[in-house]
Amino acid sequence: MQKISIDPITRLEGHGRIDIFLDEEGNVANAYLVIPELRGFEKFAEGRPVEELPRITPRICGVCPEAHHMASAKACDAVYHVEVPSTGKKLRELLYSAFYVADHTVHFYILAAPDFVLGPDAPPAERNILGLIHRVGLEIGSKVISSRGKAMDIVGMLGGKTIHPVGAIPGGVSKAINEEERAQIEAIGHELVEFGQFNLQLFHDVVLANKTYLDMILSDTFTTPMYYMGLVDENNKVNFYDGLVRVVDPEGNEFVKYAPEEYLDVIAERVEPWTYLKFPYLKKVGWKGFVTGKDSGVYQATPLSRLNAADGMATPRAQEAYEGFYETMGGKPVHGTLATHWARLIELLYAAERLVELATDPEITDPHVRNIPTEMPDEGVGIVEAPRGTLTHHYTTDEKGIVQKCNLIVGTTNNYAPISISVKKAAQALIKKGQVISEGILNRVEMAFRSYDPCFGCATHTLPGQMPLEVVIWDAEGNEVQRISQNL
Amino acid sequence: MRPATLVLGLGNPILTDDGVGIHVVRAVAARCRRDGVTFAEASVGGLRLLDVIAGYERVIMVDAMQTGEGQPGDIYRLHPNELRASLHSGSTHDLSLPGALALGRGMGMTLPNDEAIVIVAVEVEDVLTFGETCTPTVAAAIPRAVEAVLAKLETGEQ
Repeated sequence: MQKISIDPITRLEGHGRIDIFLDEEGNVANAYLVIPELRGFEKFAEGRPVEELPRITPRICGVCPEAHHMASAKACDAVYHVEVPSTGKKLRELLYSAFYVADHTVHFYILAAPDFVLGPDAPPAERNILGLIHRVGLEIGSKVISSRGKAMDIVGMLGGKTIHPVGAIPGGVSKAINEEERAQIEAIGHELVEFGQFNLQLFHDVVLANKTYLDMILSDTFTTPMYYMGLVDENNKVNFYDGLVRVVDPEGNEFVKYAPEEYLDVIAERVEPWTYLKFPYLKKVGWKGFVTGKDSGVYQATPLSRLNAADGMATPRAQEAYEGFYETMGGKPVHGTLATHWARLIELLYAAERLVELATDPEITDPHVRNIPTEMPDEGVGIVEAPRGTLTHHYTTDEKGIVQKCNLIVGTTNNYAPISISVKKAAQALIKKGQVISEGILNRVEMAFRSYDPCFGCATHTLPGQMPLEVVIWDAEGNEVQRISQNL
Repeated sequence: MRPATLVLGLGNPILTDDGVGIHVVRAVAARCRRDGVTFAEASVGGLRLLDVIAGYERVIMVDAMQTGEGQPGDIYRLHPNELRASLHSGSTHDLSLPGALALGRGMGMTLPNDEAIVIVAVEVEDVLTFGETCTPTVAAAIPRAVEAVLAKLETGEQ
C-alpha cells in the first residue's frame, strides 16, 4: 500500500498530519487524521479548588479561551448549585456574543476566504489573508481588522482582560457595567450587525455567484450526511451560551434533546489503537466505524450542525439569512461540508444582533450580577457552544470544593470522526489512479478538513509554529516516488 | 503610542516547556529596575498578539521554540523577519507572527518595525503534557535566557 502524508495540515493550530493510503491501483484506500494530543489536563486539575478552573481552563486553548472560561464557570455554578442572576447571565452572553463575532471573523477571512477569493488552485504564497486583501482592497481589509478589534474590546471590557478573561465566576460575573459602557457596547454592536450583513453579501457575491464554487459546495465530494448537534433555546433556536443540546438525525428529525448533566447518557467515546484521540459517538446508535448515515453514531458539532439541529435563529436578520441558506442548498438538513462557511457567517450575524439585543436590555446595567454560593459543592456539568463545537466541562469535587475528577469534551473532539470521514471522501474523489497529485488537489482535500475549523494544538504555539507542508508518495515497496513540498 | 518597551512572555504556563517564555519574563520583571518597561504575558498568537504589542516602540518577546535541529535549552536571538519562511504557510488557526505583523501594518496599526522586535527563544522538549514546570534541561536554561533579556534591556540594543 502506498502512503501520502500531508504534514502538517496548513492553517491548523497545532501539528496535525493527514495520512492518505493508496491501494495497488493508485486509488485512495483510506485516510486518517493523526494529531498529537495534549496530555493530562484531567490529572492537572485534580486537587485544585474548583473555582480556579474558570481561570485555568482558558489556558488550554489559545484560540478560544472565552469558550473554556464560560463552560467552566457554568460547570462551577452547577457544582455549587447556585443560580446566576438574570443580569449576570446576560453579561456572560454579551461577552460571549462579542467573542463569537471576533472568532468567526478570523476563521472566515484568514482560513476560509483565501480558498474562494484567490481560488483553491492559487499558489499557496498568494492564497492567504494578505493575498486576499490585495485582491479585494484595503478598505475591506480595514473593516475586517477593525470589526474584529472592536468585538475584542467588548470582550476586554466585560472579561477584565482581552485575553484569558476572568470576568465569570461561580454564581455570576465579577462586575456590572454602567450606562457609559453599555452605550459604548451598543454603538459597537450596531457596527457589527452592519459588518455581519456585509460578510454575507460578500459571500453571495464572491462564492455563491461563482458557479464553480457553488457546484463544489453542492458536490458529492464534499457531502457527508450524519447526525447534527447544537445547543438550542426554549424555542429550539440556535443559542451559543445556554439551553439544551439537541441532536437531529441525517433526515433532520429530532433524535434527542438533553440537559448538560445528562451528556454521559447520550455520548460515549471510542478508542482507536492508532491515535491518542478519542472519538465521541451517540451511545444509542452505536459505533459502526468511520461511516456516515442513520445507522452510524457519528455526529458533528459545527456551525452547520447547529443550524441543522435548530428550528431557526432567534434574531430577525439572521433568521432571514437562515431561510435563504436552506432555500439555496435545497432544504434541510444540509450535508455539504463546505456550506459550513456560510453557516458560520449566519452565526456571526446572529451573534452581532444578539449583542445589540443584550446591550439594549433594560436589565443589563443592574448591579446585581452575582449570587454568592452557599450550598455544599459536589458535582456539575457546564455546556456552551464553542465556535468549533459543543464544549462540555464536568467536574466532581469533595465537600471543600477540591476537584476530584474532571472530564472535558472539547469542541473539535466531537468532530474527529466526521473530519476523518470528510477527508477520506474528498481524497477518494480527487485522487485517482495514475493522476499527478498537484498542490491544488491536496488543498481541496484540506478544504474538507478546514471547513470544520479544527483546533487541536490548543495553546501550544511554539515558534516557528509551522513546518513545511510535504507530501511524500511511496510505492508498494516503500520507495519514494514523488515528493511535493510547499512553504520550504 | 504606548511608552517605550514591552517585555512579553509568550507560551502556555501550564504546558510544561511551552511556558518557558513566561517563566523567563517573570524572573526578568523581578530584577528589572528600569523605567518605561512594561511586562506582560500571553498564551496566544496571530491577531490576538497584535492587540498586545500595538503601540509600543520596542518589544522583546520571549518564547519557546522547536527548530527540530537544536538541543533543548539552546537560546536563540532573532527578529521577526528571520521567521519569514512561515509568512505564507499560515499553518496556525490564525496567522504566523510575520504574517500578523504584515497585515497589521498594512491596515495602518501602530506597530514596532521588525528591527525593534526582538525574539529571545529557548529550544524546548515537551509542549504536550500539562504541567507547571519545565523539563530539567529547559529549566536550567532559564537563568541564561533571563540574562539575555536583561542585557538587551540594559543596552537598548536591538
